[in-house]
Amino acid sequence: MKLHELAERLGWELKTKNVPVTGEVKSGYASDLLSDVLANSIEGDLWVTRQTHLNIVAIAVMRDLSGILLVSGAEPDPDTVEKAIEKMIPIFRTTLPTFEVVGRIYQLGISGKR
Amino acid sequence: MLELSLHILDLVQNSLRAQASAVEIQIQEDLKKDLLTIGVSDNGQGMSPEIVKRVIDPFYTTRTTREVGLGVPLLKEAAERCGGHLEVHSEKGKGTQILASFQLSHLDRAPLGDMGETLAILIAGNPGVDFLYDHRVNGQAYRLDTREMREILGTGGLEDPSIFAFIRQDVQQGLKKIGAATFPQIMDFLQGPETR
Repeated sequence: MKLHELAERLGWELKTKNVPVTGEVKSGYASDLLSDVLANSIEGDLWVTRQTHLNIVAIAVMRDLSGILLVSGAEPDPDTVEKAIEKMIPIFRTTLPTFEVVGRIYQLGISGKR
Repeated sequence: MLELSLHILDLVQNSLRAQASAVEIQIQEDLKKDLLTIGVSDNGQGMSPEIVKRVIDPFYTTRTTREVGLGVPLLKEAAERCGGHLEVHSEKGKGTQILASFQLSHLDRAPLGDMGETLAILIAGNPGVDFLYDHRVNGQAYRLDTREMREILGTGGLEDPSIFAFIRQDVQQGLKKIGAATFPQIMDFLQGPETR
């Protein structure tokens, strides 16, 4: 499923204007521990996290992730948004907590199989 | 906890519950040693050696409102996860000192958070308590001492509603000036031209 389709169906807010959201999402990973994401995410994963600081963009670039979804209404830091736009990493926001939003993503056919 | 300032807030609240009238918060960033240390010291009731041994146990607390106190165990876990450790020194009737260290550049080291807001909450909410905040980055220091502030502002100066905004702004600007590391610096990777 395309990233923008997921976002539209689940009502996520895009925080990174003008960053393309047409990429295909085949899998996802949920974690708030950056070293864990660096070690265990795979290319193209949609990353679900509560972390908001600049380093999430670095991890997304290093692992070539399809995007970042911030949960529980967390707002990205202003410099996080700025760097994400520069590096073309889409960041979305949802008010739902991790457990709930991951369940809804899974129901749409996106799994976390490694 | 997502930010170190929340750990510090929790430690200082423990100090205040232990009836401390003076609390010192010391943060040191040593870039050469790649080390971040956080120390919170108070002149509160202190703890017996037996209780000090139990304070990192998540099922121990002096509070009666809930069974477990998680602040110190969580800080210990956070420090150890980032290549550091936690020490508790305390003496009954004299006070308590808690020291936590972290590898400064560790990927999982939580961001410092908003120390300006944290200190503003603590000072404005406890105008009768003496707070000293000392933050050093490779020898450069930012320092906030409420005893000095009281001398300048006079009696009741810390109870003025405008003190909250003043403290928050002063700390934020002071930390920026000394180059305090708000989060681990792995962004060198991201410098330069577009990567995608």
